[in-house]
Amino acid sequence: MKFRAERSEFADAVAWALRSVGSRATLPALSGVLLDAQGDELHLSSTDLELSGTLRLPVQVEQEGRALVPGRLLGDIVRTLPNAAVEAAVDDDVLQLTCGRASFALRLMPAEDFPALARPAEDAAEATLKSEVFATTVTQVGRAASSDEHRPALTGVHLSTADGVLTAAATDSYRLAVRSVPWDAAVDAQALIPRRALDEGRRAAESLGADVHLLLEASQATISLPDRRLTTRLLEASFPEYQNLIPDTTERRLRVDRAALLETVKRVAVVGEANTSATPVTLSLTGDTVEVTAGSGEVGKAEEALPGELEGEPLQIGFNPRYLSDGLEVAGGEEVTLEFRDELKPAVLRPAAEPEDGGDFLYLLMPVRL
Amino acid sequence: MSSARAQRRVAPTAYPWPTMTERPPEPILHLDMDAFYAAVEALDDPSLAGRPVLVGGAGGRGVVASASYEARACGASSAMPMAKARRLCPDAVVRPPRFDRYRQVSAALLDLLRDVTPLVEPLSLDEAFLDVGGSRRLLGEPVEIAAHLRARIRDALGLPASVGVAPNLHLAKLCSQRAKPDGVLHLRREEVAGFLAPLPVRALWGVGEATAERLARFGLRTVADVAAADPGLLRRVVGQAAATHLAELAAGEDPRTVTPYEPARSISAEETFATDVDDPEVLRRELLRLAEDVARRLRGEGVAARTVTLKLRYATFETITRSRTLTTPADDAAALHREVVAALEALRLQRARVRLVGVGGSNLVPAGAARQLDLLADDRWSRLERAADAAGARFGAGAVTRGALLDEAPTSGDAAPSSQAWRPAGGDDPVP
Repeated sequence: MKFRAERSEFADAVAWALRSVGSRATLPALSGVLLDAQGDELHLSSTDLELSGTLRLPVQVEQEGRALVPGRLLGDIVRTLPNAAVEAAVDDDVLQLTCGRASFALRLMPAEDFPALARPAEDAAEATLKSEVFATTVTQVGRAASSDEHRPALTGVHLSTADGVLTAAATDSYRLAVRSVPWDAAVDAQALIPRRALDEGRRAAESLGADVHLLLEASQATISLPDRRLTTRLLEASFPEYQNLIPDTTERRLRVDRAALLETVKRVAVVGEANTSATPVTLSLTGDTVEVTAGSGEVGKAEEALPGELEGEPLQIGFNPRYLSDGLEVAGGEEVTLEFRDELKPAVLRPAAEPEDGGDFLYLLMPVRL
Repeated sequence: MSSARAQRRVAPTAYPWPTMTERPPEPILHLDMDAFYAAVEALDDPSLAGRPVLVGGAGGRGVVASASYEARACGASSAMPMAKARRLCPDAVVRPPRFDRYRQVSAALLDLLRDVTPLVEPLSLDEAFLDVGGSRRLLGEPVEIAAHLRARIRDALGLPASVGVAPNLHLAKLCSQRAKPDGVLHLRREEVAGFLAPLPVRALWGVGEATAERLARFGLRTVADVAAADPGLLRRVVGQAAATHLAELAAGEDPRTVTPYEPARSISAEETFATDVDDPEVLRRELLRLAEDVARRLRGEGVAARTVTLKLRYATFETITRSRTLTTPADDAAALHREVVAALEALRLQRARVRLVGVGGSNLVPAGAARQLDLLADDRWSRLERAADAAGARFGAGAVTRGALLDEAPTSGDAAPSSQAWRPAGGDDPVP
C-alpha cells in the first residue's frame, strides 16, 4: 500500500476515525484504524463493536493495499505534522509516514484481526433528511437522554416511523423530548439508538452540510453521508411507552418570550448552584407576569420578573433549572408555550409557532415538589 | 483563639487560689448501659425482672446480642452463639432484638446526656463518651456529674448504667467496664500507671486475639510489659503505626478527644444468612426485606437518602460495598431495592457464596426538602409503603408486608431475623 494525501484532510479523517476506535485490551485490533487504499480513494475504518465508522478520502494511490495502524499513535503523529503532503507506504510490517523532512515508522497490527465492519444490508430501506433537520432533531431530543448506564433504555434515542413521519424521543425520566419530522421511506420501523451514534452523525452532518441518509434495520442503524458512514448496534432494552405520559388536557397555558425566560432562569439559578444539590427555581405565574425565584435563607435569594400571558388560574411550580433551561434552549422559535395542570403534574413546553422545517416538538418536564 | 484557650488552661497555676473554671484532671466520662437490650426487655416486661434473659437471633447462626446479669451468672455472654448460651443457661428467656425500641430508649438517653454537656459522643445505642471538663462550675466535679447522671437515668428511664471517670477516653472506657454492673469507677491521674500495669494486653484498645497472641510470643502479656518494651521490638511485632498507638495507650495516654455526635449520617440494615447463599433470587428477596427496614427507618426519621449502598460479605469473609448516588433522594423500599439490585447485578456474581448482605442509605436530606418528581416512577409504591407504616404503627411492625416476603416472614418471636444496624454497633460488644 502506498498513497499520498493532503495533510489537513488526512488529519481530519484520522481524527474522525478515532472517535469509534475501541479501547478494550482483550481485542487489540479494535484499537487500530484500518487504512485501505483502492482506486483513487483511501478508506479509513474503525469500530468498537458497538459503533463502526468508515470514511472515504480522495488521495493519490500509487499502490493499493490495506494496513491496520495503531489508532492513537497515528492520530498523535498526524496532528503534529507540518503543512505538507503526507506520503504513506507499507514496507513489510511497518508503515512509513513522510511529511516534509519528518518521517515516522509505525509498526502495523495484523490486518486480518480486524473484524468485518458492520454495514447495512443492500436492500435496507433508506430515508433522506436535510442536514439541518437531522442536526436539530438530534440536538433537541438528545439533550433529554440519560447518561445513567444502569438504565440503558434511557441512554438511547427512540426512533419510530409511521405514516410518513419519523418520531424521535428520549427521556431520562425527569423530562421527555419528542420531535417529529417528515419521513420519506415507506417502511414502519422502531429503533433505540445509542445517543453517541446520533451525536457523531449530527457533528458530521453539521460540518458537511449534506443530506443524511438514515437506514433502520432490525438490529442496527446506519447514518450515511456522502463521504462517510456510521453503523451502530441498537440498544436492546425496551423504551418506555412515552405516548401515555403526554397529557391530553391542560388547565393553564403560559405564552412567554423564549430567550427572556431562558436568560432569567439561568441568572436566577446561579443562587441555587451554590448548593450541592440542584436547588429548584420557582415560577410564580399570574395573569401577565412570570416571577422566577430561587434560593433559600441559607445561601441567598434571587428573583426576577418578566412578562408572560397566562390563561387559567395562577400557579406556583418548581423546576430543576437545568431541565427547564435545556428545554428552552432546544425548543427554538421566538416564543414558547408552557402548559400545566398543577404543580405536581408534568408541564409541556412547545415552540409557540410550528418549527420552520416542519414537524413538531414537545418537551415534557416533571416539576420539583417544593 | 487557640492561644487564649491554652492560656486559660495554664493560667490557674499562676493564681494564688484554685478556681472552679480550671479544667479538672479527669474530665472524661464513659457511660455504658448495663446489659442494655436485656434490661430494656425486662423494663417492658416486668415478669422478666430477676430472670436470666438472652436477646439475640435464635436461628442456626444466631448470636447473643445481650445477656442479663442473671444469664451471665451461668456463663452466657454477648457475642456467644445462642445455641451455646442456651445450653449454659437452659432457664433463660430468649427474646428477639427489637432495635426500633432500643433506638427509642437510646434517643431518650442521649437527651439526658446532652443536658450535662454538648460534648457527647455516642459509640453505639448504649454507650457514649462525655467531656464534662467545662461543666465543673455549673454541675460540679466529674465524679459528682457521673453520680447525678446515673440517678437521672434510673429515674427517667428505669435502667442501670455504669460510668468510668478518667483523664482520657481509653482509660474512661476501661473504668466503666470495671465499674459494672451499676457502678462508678473514678481513676485519678496519679493512679493511672498502677491501674494499667497488671491488665492483660487485650485491655488496650485495638488489641484483638491475634495481636495479643503475637505479643505473647515475645513475652508481652501485660500492659506493663508493653509499656516497658523496646520500641524497636514493638515495631517489628505489630508494625509502625500500631506500635506508636500501643505504646501511647500503655503509657496511659490517648490523644483522642470527644467528638460530638452529628445527626445520623447513614441508616443501614444487614443480615447474616443461616447458611451461605448463592441463589440470586434469595439475595434479591433478602435485599428487599432489608430495603424495607431501611426505608421505614428513613421515613421514621423524616429523611431521604441520596446515596444507596449495597454491602456484601462473601463466604471467604471478603467484604465489599458498592454505592450509587441518586438524582432523587429515596425513602421508599422500591427505589432502594432497585438501586441495590442494580449494584448487585453489576457485580456479575457467578454463583459466589454470600454470607451477609446489607443495604444502607447515606447522604441524608430532609424528606420534606424540594424533590424532583419522576415521569416514569410509579409513586403508588411509596404511597403504599406510607400506608403500611401507618398500619405497622397500629398493629405492629410487619402487619403489612410484601407478598414476596411472606414465605420468609417470621411466624413467632423465635424465628425473628437477626437484622442489626451497622452503626451504631449493636449490643454489649466491648469493641469501641
